[in-house]
Amino acid sequence: MITLSNLTKTFGDSTAVNAIDLEIANGEFFSMLGPSGCGKTTTLRMIAGFEEPTSGRIELAGEDVTWTSPKKRNVNMVFQNYALFPHMTVRENVEFGLKIKKLEKARATERIERMITAVRLEGFESRHPAQLSGGQQQRVALARALVNEPAALLLDEPLGALDLKLRKEMQLELKSIQQQTGTTFVYVTHDQEEALTMSDRVAVMNGGNVEQVDDPRSLYEKPRSEFVADFIGTSNLLKVEVETWDGDIARAGLGDGLRITCRESGDRASAKTITVRPEKINVHAGPVDPGQGSLVRGRIIENVYLGSMTQLIVELSTGERLIVHELNDDSGGPSEAGTEVYLSWATDHSFVIEGAAKAPDQQAALPAGAESL
Amino acid sequence: MGVPMADLPTVTGERPGRLSRLLRPLAFMSLPTAVLVLLFLAPMGILVYFSFQFGDLTGSTGFTLTNFTDILSDPLYREIALTTFQIATIAMIAQLIVGIPLAYVLAYKAGRFELPLLLALVLADELNPMVRIYAWRMLLGREGLINEALMSIGLIDVPIDALLFNKFSVIVVLSTSYLTYTVIPIYASMKAVDAGLFEAARDMGAGWFTTFRRVLLPLIAPGIFIALLLVYVPLFTDFAAPTLVGGTTGYMLGNVVSDLVLENGNLNAGAAMSFLMLLAAGLFSLVAYQLSRIKQGAK
Repeated sequence: MITLSNLTKTFGDSTAVNAIDLEIANGEFFSMLGPSGCGKTTTLRMIAGFEEPTSGRIELAGEDVTWTSPKKRNVNMVFQNYALFPHMTVRENVEFGLKIKKLEKARATERIERMITAVRLEGFESRHPAQLSGGQQQRVALARALVNEPAALLLDEPLGALDLKLRKEMQLELKSIQQQTGTTFVYVTHDQEEALTMSDRVAVMNGGNVEQVDDPRSLYEKPRSEFVADFIGTSNLLKVEVETWDGDIARAGLGDGLRITCRESGDRASAKTITVRPEKINVHAGPVDPGQGSLVRGRIIENVYLGSMTQLIVELSTGERLIVHELNDDSGGPSEAGTEVYLSWATDHSFVIEGAAKAPDQQAALPAGAESL
Repeated sequence: MGVPMADLPTVTGERPGRLSRLLRPLAFMSLPTAVLVLLFLAPMGILVYFSFQFGDLTGSTGFTLTNFTDILSDPLYREIALTTFQIATIAMIAQLIVGIPLAYVLAYKAGRFELPLLLALVLADELNPMVRIYAWRMLLGREGLINEALMSIGLIDVPIDALLFNKFSVIVVLSTSYLTYTVIPIYASMKAVDAGLFEAARDMGAGWFTTFRRVLLPLIAPGIFIALLLVYVPLFTDFAAPTLVGGTTGYMLGNVVSDLVLENGNLNAGAAMSFLMLLAAGLFSLVAYQLSRIKQGAK
């Protein structure tokens, strides 16, 4: 188990990692996801021992390793550019760590062969890295790290240099190797799809802070902050004033007898924004009874055909715009631009989250368009 | 507007014939070749010619091997050859010991000081050799800075004579004279090595020495061999340093040649000695070149 407590790293005036706390369980596929400069790589490098924290603590299997040299830590790293030794063969690369640990020859050979088989590199043992494709080099890097049987494998954007198709294949392969070996994987990426596909849990990071730690489904379905809602997938953000609380359900009016109800998610006091995913919204020609859910009115201003679905942009009477995804299965409502429509969604599909009025640097980190849509 | 028919044959006519296409590169090469033959190969030829002769151009006595047998059978020359080999090798090793860490700092640690330091290294070589050697005499001599400093802090009572006019001072002067040529090729080969490899090695439990021996050293071996090629031969044949700071024990083969020719007026013996040194240098270069190729091939 890896425990980070109050971990902080500053470079000069700027804070790369801001007092984060994380617990990573044994055998877990844990991802740190965020835009560049969010502190995810710095955190990983602190776990590996390549960066010294400014303050805070790192524990590995209950042992404080905050100031332990990287060569003494029972973790191994897969580097972004693989950092394979160009003058060594595949086998010599994989062998490197075991030679240093002076592992008994027979056991070393057995482990190396098992590892080379696991990453499907049989027959390539005597090749040099320059004679391998990107995907093969990636697998050598994996084998070289995993052969040491580390308590955790740290991966720093390991698929970043591969093309899309290969990346998808390697995602599945990484996941299966992780399940085979049962090793804890700590995976750093800026690609949300990659994180959601492979991880048991994901920590979404932004500006040196951990915004939310959750399983992929909860991250998507129940984002706790505007940043998470926007960074993971497409999300509609609406500013509202909560009128009443009914248990953990917030009610807000939009005038015209229309209403919004949604679940609490995060800090109630600063709740100023609600989120709802585009595919959770239903479109109706006339007013309907939304049951316990929300109902709003608007006008379709744009209609984009996307094959399996149609994307509508609906402007509400407040001037705010919602993105709506409708499946093209003939069951949907009106979709012509200019049509007045009613939109409904269930209470469970929308959450009140903290408003946008947070630290200014965090505002700047939001992707363009996050405000208007 | 069409092209007048009459112009077409001239266009095709300008295309060079087969012969002239073959000759053109030769024409380009003729001047440098002539310069090379005249200024480099001709003197070399004269040198070789003299080494197999008695007397000078006017009083030639025909072919003889005496010049070589005299040198090879003289135990004094053998001893000087051994001293030369010893001095050159120690000076080379000393330069590698200083040069490799220096190149490492330049390549990975210097940051924004990389270029200024590199420039300083090149400028250090621009210093006139005579000035540099005399500067070392002022440092190492009886009343030199080092002796003065040691005496003023009371570490010694009488000046140390062992600092100057021996093998030691020759090694010191030679090492510092060629350091630039040792560092630059090693530095260049280090620039091509990703510093991330050192992190990877550390990550797998390697200490700095293992990382150096098993990762950095094999990767910069071509650079080291080029440094050997550039530096070891000039070290072997140097005569300015041993003349000025060598005394009697720091006497090298370069001095033998200059003394044979300038002091004894024995052009033939000097030529024979030069020819032997040329052979040794050629052989050494060939070995170093082959080694550097083997290492590069392994990449």
